[in-house]
Amino acid sequence: MSLEESIDAPPVLEEHAVADPIAVQPAAPPFRPRPVGWMARGIVMAAVAALVLLLPTTKGAVDVHIYTQAVIFAIIGLSLNVLLGYTGQISLGHHAFVGIGAFTSAYMVTVHGQPFVAAVAMAMVVGGLQALLLGAVSLRITGLYFALVTLAYGTMAEESLFNIQKLTGGSAGQPAPKPTWFTTDLRYYYLCLAFLAAVIWVDWRLMKTKGGRALSAVRENPRVAATFGTDVKIYTLMAFVVAGVFAGLGGALLAHNDTFVVRDLFNFQLALVFVIMTVVGGLRNRTGVVIGSAFFGLIGYFFDKLFEHGLDLRVLKVLPKEYAPIVIGPMLLLFTLTRHPGGMGQQVRPLQRWLRGGRFSFKDTHEDEVRVSDVRA
Amino acid sequence: MPRFLASRSALVGTAIVVVVAAVMVASGQRQALVIGVITGAGYGLVALGLVLIYKSSGVFNFAQGEFGTVAVYTLYGVHDLAGVPLLPAMLVGLAAAAAMALATERVIIRPLFSAPRVTLLVATAGVSLLAISLELWLGEARIRFIQPALGRLDRVSVFGVQVSDQRLLVLAALLMLAVLLGLFFSRTNLGLAILGVSQEPVATELMGISVRRLSSFTWALTGVLAGLAGMLTAPVVGSFAPGFLTTTSLIPAFTAAVLGGMTSLPGAFVGGVVVGVAQSLAVSAPIFYENIPGPGAVMVFVLLVVVLALRPQGLLGKSS
Repeated sequence: MSLEESIDAPPVLEEHAVADPIAVQPAAPPFRPRPVGWMARGIVMAAVAALVLLLPTTKGAVDVHIYTQAVIFAIIGLSLNVLLGYTGQISLGHHAFVGIGAFTSAYMVTVHGQPFVAAVAMAMVVGGLQALLLGAVSLRITGLYFALVTLAYGTMAEESLFNIQKLTGGSAGQPAPKPTWFTTDLRYYYLCLAFLAAVIWVDWRLMKTKGGRALSAVRENPRVAATFGTDVKIYTLMAFVVAGVFAGLGGALLAHNDTFVVRDLFNFQLALVFVIMTVVGGLRNRTGVVIGSAFFGLIGYFFDKLFEHGLDLRVLKVLPKEYAPIVIGPMLLLFTLTRHPGGMGQQVRPLQRWLRGGRFSFKDTHEDEVRVSDVRA
Repeated sequence: MPRFLASRSALVGTAIVVVVAAVMVASGQRQALVIGVITGAGYGLVALGLVLIYKSSGVFNFAQGEFGTVAVYTLYGVHDLAGVPLLPAMLVGLAAAAAMALATERVIIRPLFSAPRVTLLVATAGVSLLAISLELWLGEARIRFIQPALGRLDRVSVFGVQVSDQRLLVLAALLMLAVLLGLFFSRTNLGLAILGVSQEPVATELMGISVRRLSSFTWALTGVLAGLAGMLTAPVVGSFAPGFLTTTSLIPAFTAAVLGGMTSLPGAFVGGVVVGVAQSLAVSAPIFYENIPGPGAVMVFVLLVVVLALRPQGLLGKSS
């Protein structure tokens, strides 16, 4: 038997056939959906696309404003996902990251009269720079201590940086008008969707590069990664910069969505909401993070609608609607952490697999169970 | 003699504190010093709980502040609203804090026993947020005023600074508590067992001590400590709101614990005093507050980063 023949022959499969009665036919072709199946998948995809693209056209400006916020939350969730999911560093000061982006953009537009594009670019640069500084600190201190530093940083930004009258307008806030071509809420919504698509694309492509693979190696085991010649420091810093740039972008978009930035928006609770939506969405799962973030961006709106349509549950009557999101959010987080560490991303995975042309099944949903990396301290 | 006085690094730390204090008295920052020491003792109390939990469960407990806030709310409800006398009401408050700590340990920490520590940290932050939102909802999101047990402001003066009776009461209670805790951890079997678990859990288990039960006990104890910190400091401030102890004390307390090396109990307490004085100096010295908005938070952040960068084992901790 020549070498080629021995490679071509599938000896493992035959052994399997004996042991496993289900795999009796060794030459079973990979599953391909029939035309009807493809059509069903197409209809579902079209429905999702219509929901995202067309539903806002039927709604008023107030509703669209909230949808836009949900889209921006998705960008912020992806930013936090880079830190928490890819490097395993938790940021409890993400409200500062986002807030600095928001104030930078508002400052550029209002005080310096710069165009929207320049302001957003500046917000991204500043966001990246501050992340780089914090990242440089974090190279010495990791894990739990880093969480602590980001928390103290967030509080410092809240009480000090955001109070610098010249930059932020102090307690009065800073106006941040919408850009020229996107003055209506609907147009701005589509602009934000485009930005979200760009962020998803960049995130996806970055994770496919050498740097992305290095990051997963570093997260799994920094010592082993370093042994194989991966420069842990450079790649961790890179992840920080990416997260900072995304957060700066999210902040800038948030500012122009509200057309006004006030410092009270960026408090510690917001940082916790960011962490919650990312973890509940499912770390390292882009679809999950986007769904989770949008869900938490919309949760108050959902409750509004439920009450509007005469929802009459005694429990919810007792729980006023303005408190519903902040009470239910942490509960979902704790439930996710203790029971479903894969988050929403894991729940939608069967559907995702089906849409890609696979068979629909609830099995093997645990294919790569999400774990937040262990502490490197 | 309590053990912590015997260690050399503790003596060095105390010497530093004494020198700083002397400089502050000489330079006219007496007010900042006195207020800072008392505020800092409160931070120290929260920090003690953080260190205890870190030693026993390996978690940074972000819910620590909320254990205290829940105690304050309970005290307010039982004493100010229902009219129960102060001391029984305080006991009810402590019980509430301990119950919340126990519930956290049981429902959140134990199922996540083998999870990475960052996950645990997110979980405790979730508990904290849940508590804050429940306070917002049930406590109607408003600032509430709370009367100090002792009302006189001008009876005693230290270094020419008038100190309110309530502050003195707080200081006395904290000092007494520190001594009691020192004795508890050096003399009683239970205290020694807790220290044993934090150092060698397996060996402690082999000595016939239930690590699980001790973990529950440690969490309850930290709940009580946080509860005391909350109920003692809230009347000094005079008012409280949802998330009270988290917003005022959590970050300074963590900084204090880091100053003490995250594992040293006396270190955490001394660290608390250091952070309190530094923060109070930043707020009251014109050179800081005229140039920097929010000087207190900046000072704490700088202190934290500097300590972590230069001496990660803490001022009083041993290098590992």
